[in-house]
Amino acid sequence: MGYIEDLALLKEYGIEIADTKRFTLNTDPAKIEEKFEFPFVIKVEGKSELHKTDVGGVKIVENREDLQDFIKHVKDIQSEYQIKDLVAQEMVNGTELFIGAKRDAQFGPIILFGLGGIFVEIIGKPVIRLAPITKKDAETMIRETKGKEIIEGARGREPVNKNKLVKTLVAVSNMIVERGDIKEIDINPIIGNSKHVKAVDVRIIR
Amino acid sequence: MVNELDKFFNPKSVAVVGASKHPHKIGHVILWNFMRGFKGKVYPINPKDNEILGLKAYPRVTDVPGEVDLAVIAIPAKFVPMVVEDCGKKGVKAVIIVSGGFSEIGDRELEDQVKEIAHKYGIRIVGPNCIGVFDAYSQVDTLFMPRYRLERPRKGKISFVSQSGAVGSAILDWAATKGFGFSKFVSYGNACDVDEVDMLRYLEEDKRTGVIGMYIEGTRRGRELYETLKTITKKKPVIAIKGGKTSSGSKAASSHTGALAGSARVWDAMFKQVGVIEADDIRRMFNYSRLLAEQPLPHGRKVGVITNGGGFGVIASDALEKHGLTLAPLEDKTIELIRKHVPEYAVVKNPVDLVGDADANRYEVALEALMQDKNVDIILVLILFQTAGVQSEIIDVVANKSDMKKKPIIAFSAGGDFTQMHMKMLEKVGVPVFDSLEETADAIEKMYQYAVYVGNAE
Repeated sequence: MGYIEDLALLKEYGIEIADTKRFTLNTDPAKIEEKFEFPFVIKVEGKSELHKTDVGGVKIVENREDLQDFIKHVKDIQSEYQIKDLVAQEMVNGTELFIGAKRDAQFGPIILFGLGGIFVEIIGKPVIRLAPITKKDAETMIRETKGKEIIEGARGREPVNKNKLVKTLVAVSNMIVERGDIKEIDINPIIGNSKHVKAVDVRIIR
Repeated sequence: MVNELDKFFNPKSVAVVGASKHPHKIGHVILWNFMRGFKGKVYPINPKDNEILGLKAYPRVTDVPGEVDLAVIAIPAKFVPMVVEDCGKKGVKAVIIVSGGFSEIGDRELEDQVKEIAHKYGIRIVGPNCIGVFDAYSQVDTLFMPRYRLERPRKGKISFVSQSGAVGSAILDWAATKGFGFSKFVSYGNACDVDEVDMLRYLEEDKRTGVIGMYIEGTRRGRELYETLKTITKKKPVIAIKGGKTSSGSKAASSHTGALAGSARVWDAMFKQVGVIEADDIRRMFNYSRLLAEQPLPHGRKVGVITNGGGFGVIASDALEKHGLTLAPLEDKTIELIRKHVPEYAVVKNPVDLVGDADANRYEVALEALMQDKNVDIILVLILFQTAGVQSEIIDVVANKSDMKKKPIIAFSAGGDFTQMHMKMLEKVGVPVFDSLEETADAIEKMYQYAVYVGNAE
């Protein structure tokens, strides 16, 4: 189960996901441009141990030239790192959030929420609730989050769409309850702005 | 299921297995307890004596002529299974096993044996390795601490469920000394059968329980505990002391009951999610429980403060703000009314300073005014008894307003013997009194948060 498939599973539960598609290395760049508007993110897919950023395997491409340079670079390092495919993803702007779910030994399925991305270490521990949660629970979780002012729109940032965030939290909590085959869900980052709350990266452990 | 557990608190007859003539033996103390206040029939069970403390003793439970509703077992662990078998044959449906030496020392086998026998006969078991039950109304008292060492509390509305016998006994003694009312107490030990979930469900329905306190380290039924607490808090407040939150505490808890304490952060989250109030220690647990047991929930967090000492008004304001509460902006009519009854030089605002020569009458006027003020949700009365003007009638004044149960009234006082005596009297008539403004504000904050949780306040 690849990361694109995991994103698709989130979508099944009504969670918005960043538009993401897989392409082979030999795909005509024009085909990629058909599906994604510049600027967008392009990354490689290979062995799971591969640290994409270390080998120049992730890039925000602004134009055709960027894209072609990237593909050329990847083809150069392909055999060394056993790179298989390319993954293109729409750029989502907004506040990086973290949503997680797992199974606690004493209480069963739980859901976690907090600021994500670069804020994770600074802000501290996420808010936890036992799953499944109600909309009211989700609202309380957001109110309790350290750094919630950022979610509400501080320093010129757009506030995160509250309704969509609430719905997303409820959806993830339903997912961990309903899917007995899943041990852990780690959505980081999920990016929220005034219109959307879209998952950009996810890890599902079964 | 609820009725099954009722025999632990309201049995008509009790057999004390291991009853003894020797004053220091557990079996002696327990028998003595029952003789002091319990109104039902008491049967000492001991194969060696045919009379103990003036009561006819029997060699086995099966020899007792009448019915036995409850059996309390205080004999070495290895003999317990055969006694439980006797209880089964006799038709006893409720058994408390005080004896230790079971799963807590690693002997699962003996405990499983007991469980099997109990299951065969449909017996409910509390324990083993516990101090059992105390009921302030029925005077069921299986605690093996003599009454001169551990006072028993008077009747009231607070019930307590404890995973630790030591914590539980300290709580009872504390409640008794301070004059706090109590209802039911149970220490459930190893929980080989009846556990905290069962007891909580029972107390949920118990008409004599208004507030539930609990001390817990770990649980084997996390989900059920969560669901049970969620239902209960809608009807009655639950205050929990969680043991084993730190890694050292956790290790201690593990060796104590053999149960896993679990992740502290998930416990915190769980309690918050179901509206359980967490107390850091026993003192705080009582602060919250007696406030919630005696006073109505507020509709908001605006506090009206009355004082006869300006300095304490200042400390109170600070403490309230620190705990997220606000000073109520008094209505004009309130200020005008109070102004008529205080010296000209007194400044009438909130905190309302009745100044040093205040007497019970002045307090009455101020209290009545704040009761009528629509901006005041909570009333905090600071009473300094050191001045000659404050007569003992003030107890009646505050109690009368408190009895109306219109708005929560909380008192604060600080001082020596004269003050302490009056504080105890106030407590007895249902007005919670504190001797620390920090603790007062903390308790009010918790009460307000619970009021918000149940939808009584915004």
